[in-house]
Amino acid sequence: MTPAALLHDALLVGAILFALGLVGILSRRNLIVMFLSAELMLQGISVSLVAWSRHHGDWGGHVLVIFVLTVAACEAALALVFVLQAFARTGRLDAAAWQALREGNLPRTVDRGLPAVDTLPPTFPRLTPAGVEPAADEDELLEREHV
Amino acid sequence: MTELLAGRTPGMTLFAAVVCAAASLWLLLPRGQGGRTERVSRWLGGLLGVAALVGLASTGRRLGGLGEESVFLVVSIVAVVSGAATVVCRSPVYAAIWFALALAGVAGVLLVLGAQFLGVATIVVYAGAILVMFLFVLMLAQPAGLAPYDRVSNEPLLSAVTGAVLLGLLTLAIGRMSAGPPICCRMPSKAAALAGTEPTTSPASAASDALAADHVARLGAELFGRHLLAVEAAGLLLLVALVGSIAIVSRGAADAGTAGGRAAT
Repeated sequence: MTPAALLHDALLVGAILFALGLVGILSRRNLIVMFLSAELMLQGISVSLVAWSRHHGDWGGHVLVIFVLTVAACEAALALVFVLQAFARTGRLDAAAWQALREGNLPRTVDRGLPAVDTLPPTFPRLTPAGVEPAADEDELLEREHV
Repeated sequence: MTELLAGRTPGMTLFAAVVCAAASLWLLLPRGQGGRTERVSRWLGGLLGVAALVGLASTGRRLGGLGEESVFLVVSIVAVVSGAATVVCRSPVYAAIWFALALAGVAGVLLVLGAQFLGVATIVVYAGAILVMFLFVLMLAQPAGLAPYDRVSNEPLLSAVTGAVLLGLLTLAIGRMSAGPPICCRMPSKAAALAGTEPTTSPASAASDALAADHVARLGAELFGRHLLAVEAAGLLLLVALVGSIAIVSRGAADAGTAGGRAAT
């Protein structure tokens, strides 16, 4: 693999990770998943930085990624504290629970009725009763089904 | 076949891949439907995502051979696929687990790029510390079952199109950059530019420098030599974040305590 090809492919991977994180942070409503998407964007940036660092033979990219790790740790600590406080107030990890803070000209997010999750009860085969009904055992009638 | 596709009409392939990526992300994101429709759209979205990946790879260069290339291919596919699963997964716990796998893929990419310390540090710091913290918060705060806000998205179509268009533009820019003359390989260092001399580090020697046996020692020398002030600032930042988060938590607990006391009295 030539250095240019390696740079190209690594930059492509970084771009894909960044775009995926962008989609997640734009569209998801769970606060935790939003922060995970932000971390995914940081990972894409890290890959790009290290690729450039390898290409130029400079340690700057490595050093920047170390600082990205540091800031991500701080950000995660503070963000999780805020998420916990928000959860203590609203009881939900929902970004739309704080939609009173939105701009005045934006419409209100309303949850329509959602279809139920498909948890169908298991279907067992039914046999048609046939033959002579056996006499009930008196001992069995005294037994409990569950101990 | 990919070469033929890319050779004939790379622009059309890229466009088709971007459209496929947008449709796939839109199909995979939770939109509040249920039952069979959801299952069908998930399968369709996955297939379209694979098609988009193939298209993006074919607009790049042909991937093949053994050794570094195949390792890079495998770890980058792991990173990208589990990154996509992180974003589209309904359950936040599964999203966090997928993110751990994406971190493993990213660490593999960093290792292939020769950043051994950063690959290990990503696993240790992210997967070992940050992700576990996320999972703790999820265990504290996640309700049983799927919450309604996990099953719907804010504007799934618009955000999927936004991400896919950004991805297409970035791919285009990266392809143009690597197709053009390699001006990027000859960036003179600041000291060399000041002295008016030629840069001493050519890309070949740079690669050997990054892949040297005492890689971590060199990285440490760079970090604690040239960037010492930044290291101190980062330490201060960590301390402030620690103190701040503890202060916010204890103040919130005190508020809750006084509110509970008021309610009790």
